Amino acid sequence: MPTDSFIARSGVRPSKRGLEAARLDAGPSRARARAPILSVLAAALLFSVGGCGRQGADDAETKAKAAVSEVNEQGFVTYPTGDYVQQAPGKPGGTLHVSTSIDTAILDPHGVSAAYIEWFGRMVFDNLVYLDAAGEPQSWLAKSWTISPDGKTYVFHLRDDVTFSDGAKFNAEALRLNLEHMRDPATRSPLAARYIVPYRDGTVVDEFTFEAHLDQPYSPFLDVLAQSWLALISPKQIKENPRSAVTAPIGSGPYILESYTRQQGLRLVRRPDYHWAPDYLHHQGPAYIERIEVDIIPEALIRYSGLSSGQFDFTLEAPPQNAAAIRADPNLLLDRRIRQGNPYRGVAFNTEKAPFDDVRVRRAVALAIDREGIVQEVGFGEYQPKADFLAATTRYYDPAFRHVLDYDPVAANRLLDEAGWGTRDSDGYRTKNGVRLGSEFVSTSLFTASPVVVALQSDLKKVGFELRLVLLPQTELVDRRNAGTYEAIAAGVWHTNTPDALYVVYDSHEIPSKTHVSQNSSRLHDPALDALLEQARESNDPAVLRRLYSDAQRRLTELVPAVPLYDNYSFVAYRRRVRGVLYDTSHNTPIFTAAWLEEAPK
Amino acid sequence: MKAVLQRILWRLLAGVGVLWGAATLAFVTISFSGGDPALAILGNDAQPTPEVLARVRSDYHLDQPIYRQYFIYLGRLTHGDLGESYRLRIPVARAIGQQIGASVELAVTAGLFATLAAIAIAVSTARRANWIRSLFSGAELIGSSTPIFVVGIVLLLLFSFRLHWLPSSGQQGWRSLVLPIITLAVPMVAVLTQVLRHEIEEVLEQPFIITARARGMSEVGVRLVHALRHALLPLVTLAGNFFGFLLGGTVITETLFAREGVGRLVADATTNKDVPLVLGTTLLAASVYVVVNLVVDLLNTAFNHRARPA
Repeated sequence: MPTDSFIARSGVRPSKRGLEAARLDAGPSRARARAPILSVLAAALLFSVGGCGRQGADDAETKAKAAVSEVNEQGFVTYPTGDYVQQAPGKPGGTLHVSTSIDTAILDPHGVSAAYIEWFGRMVFDNLVYLDAAGEPQSWLAKSWTISPDGKTYVFHLRDDVTFSDGAKFNAEALRLNLEHMRDPATRSPLAARYIVPYRDGTVVDEFTFEAHLDQPYSPFLDVLAQSWLALISPKQIKENPRSAVTAPIGSGPYILESYTRQQGLRLVRRPDYHWAPDYLHHQGPAYIERIEVDIIPEALIRYSGLSSGQFDFTLEAPPQNAAAIRADPNLLLDRRIRQGNPYRGVAFNTEKAPFDDVRVRRAVALAIDREGIVQEVGFGEYQPKADFLAATTRYYDPAFRHVLDYDPVAANRLLDEAGWGTRDSDGYRTKNGVRLGSEFVSTSLFTASPVVVALQSDLKKVGFELRLVLLPQTELVDRRNAGTYEAIAAGVWHTNTPDALYVVYDSHEIPSKTHVSQNSSRLHDPALDALLEQARESNDPAVLRRLYSDAQRRLTELVPAVPLYDNYSFVAYRRRVRGVLYDTSHNTPIFTAAWLEEAPK
Repeated sequence: MKAVLQRILWRLLAGVGVLWGAATLAFVTISFSGGDPALAILGNDAQPTPEVLARVRSDYHLDQPIYRQYFIYLGRLTHGDLGESYRLRIPVARAIGQQIGASVELAVTAGLFATLAAIAIAVSTARRANWIRSLFSGAELIGSSTPIFVVGIVLLLLFSFRLHWLPSSGQQGWRSLVLPIITLAVPMVAVLTQVLRHEIEEVLEQPFIITARARGMSEVGVRLVHALRHALLPLVTLAGNFFGFLLGGTVITETLFAREGVGRLVADATTNKDVPLVLGTTLLAASVYVVVNLVVDLLNTAFNHRARPA
């Protein structure tokens, strides 16, 4: 009967919608789960509605090839320096129409961990420092700083000409209030507070000098201060009405948030007296573009169609399934950046539980997985396989170990034989003392693209390993992660702009529990690795840090706590009339301070 | 008259029971569905410090046993307080209040459009030449069996991205309402037309129609005055069902067309385990059902009194 079918249909949808809504830290990876269904639809419909132009296909191919060559012979990722240099002055004025996928529900950068803060932060706020292309902290609102030899006292000398858009002055007290706001439990910070845990207190030495005291040395301190989640908001707002920052935060950045409508979008207007842009933008003075209108468009297909039809100039999350079409369109540009931190890990092993308490089994599983196939399937030719543990854009990345865990089923079989799993049962799976070799793999359809899981299963079956998939809702997956009740789990990505990403994900202090929500879902406890990562937190000597992080990356390829599959990408597309788009060096998301618009065609 | 009032009173009392049942069921379901609510509040990718975690647990009484949480919740509910949304950090009542206007606008206009379109099609195609009927019932079959997100995507691709006639998203002016209304209305038009045509065709066989024609009444007059009036009764009964459809349909339509509304609020709340918001919207849906069913019931009684042979 009609009623039943209506209700059944409407009942199915919220969860599908959830795929898009749940897109937080996992970046593109989670949202990709929906790709196949909609892309098939998209293809079918686009062709039926009217043939899209296929001209420029050859051109697109060369562009695609050029685009995947960003990892050079030595294994470093280099983005052309032209990206960071304004070639010629832009044209002021105009409105930029931007689409993004999820509702920007909480806009206080200190009160949320969602990824949209990365680009939103660069519009509305400034930070104390920024990272240059090499990952070194450089001055922004802090002109200079000194670090005490014991690494526990930071003295910041601040700019004296910066104001927030509500007229409040930026000074040492403003900085102190911001750090307090970040860690105030009332702010409910899911991220910023954790990143400044070593911060004990601060002294206002004089109006523009601030002294920060740490409980212990913490070398990533400057790095995290460059992140959008630790951007600076108005001290007046913090003192008078901190809760208003949730929907109407006030910053000192190039744009002022004019309005935010739930589920609709943001309206931003440029600040005419802005003149403290970070140096790497090579653009001083106010932003070129007069207004930015960000619309929240959950459906990937609509984001793509809106862009190709010219209703939008820019999409902050280009759907990878439309990458080929975008590259083929002469009006559009597809751009992507490998984000710093940890790459996408398809599987994190629970190193405390059989069978993954045996490093030979972990290594064998990692070697048995054919990343090339997976990357083709989920990345639509846009992703590159990744077999080591730190993103190549991260400072102190060492490419020396990038092939250690490359696909090698022969070696995988040999390792499993050595580990005592030499016999096989009638289904072809390996056994030891009558027990079949295999494990449960806890995942959620929101988290892992299903083609990945299917590929993992079939690759592992070839070496006699049975991967049994357990799909759970996102919230239950988090429960299981914190309780440690799994053999293997979908781990996703952890993006941060510092090599301390390795501490966040693999140090034994970061093993999760009900009260200590953390990211070491491999439950890795390796004293040698801990020592390297903890020493790195204590040193500010680049040579020492390079050695320590290199050793840590080597150690990880020995321990194999997880299976990295591909890099974590920021994926944007825009019309070519948008010029001067630069990328933030902490998050590799676009920044619009120096962007400008050419006349619209027609 | 007294009997009717008594009936309304009983139905309202039963309605309160339904609301309590809905609130309780929703509370139990979401409480036992797993997942730490504190992390739902902070976000699944949160890395809170222990202090933040403790603060959130005490702010939302999550450190209390579940039965205490239930009574705290019911107690607040009797004062009309739906609590604060985990994710939006504003009162649930305000969150719903901000969104409900847009949803009502969409649902009411879509419902109205669907009814008028169905009447027009049914009246003009009943007992017509075979090929006309086949054409329309074929179209109705497609319309009623196509999921509405497909309808929406096809409309968007054609009228928005291809022909540039109508905007694809947002809610500025009537133009942005056109495609969402059609999307939401297509399945309703299809089903309604089928039912209505069937009814009209039955009525057209009745002897009093022959009498009317014999009196020299025009075909249009016969169809509109006599046939339609009798055929409208099942429409009233179907109205309750359509409210259910509209509630669900707005979830999809609002998401697809990036409109604000309660439907999208529900979808977000469910995926983010936003307990107070899920409970609030469940209560809203339950009260809508209670009211609609009451109205349908009363209308049916009224119609039946009139329809009963004297």
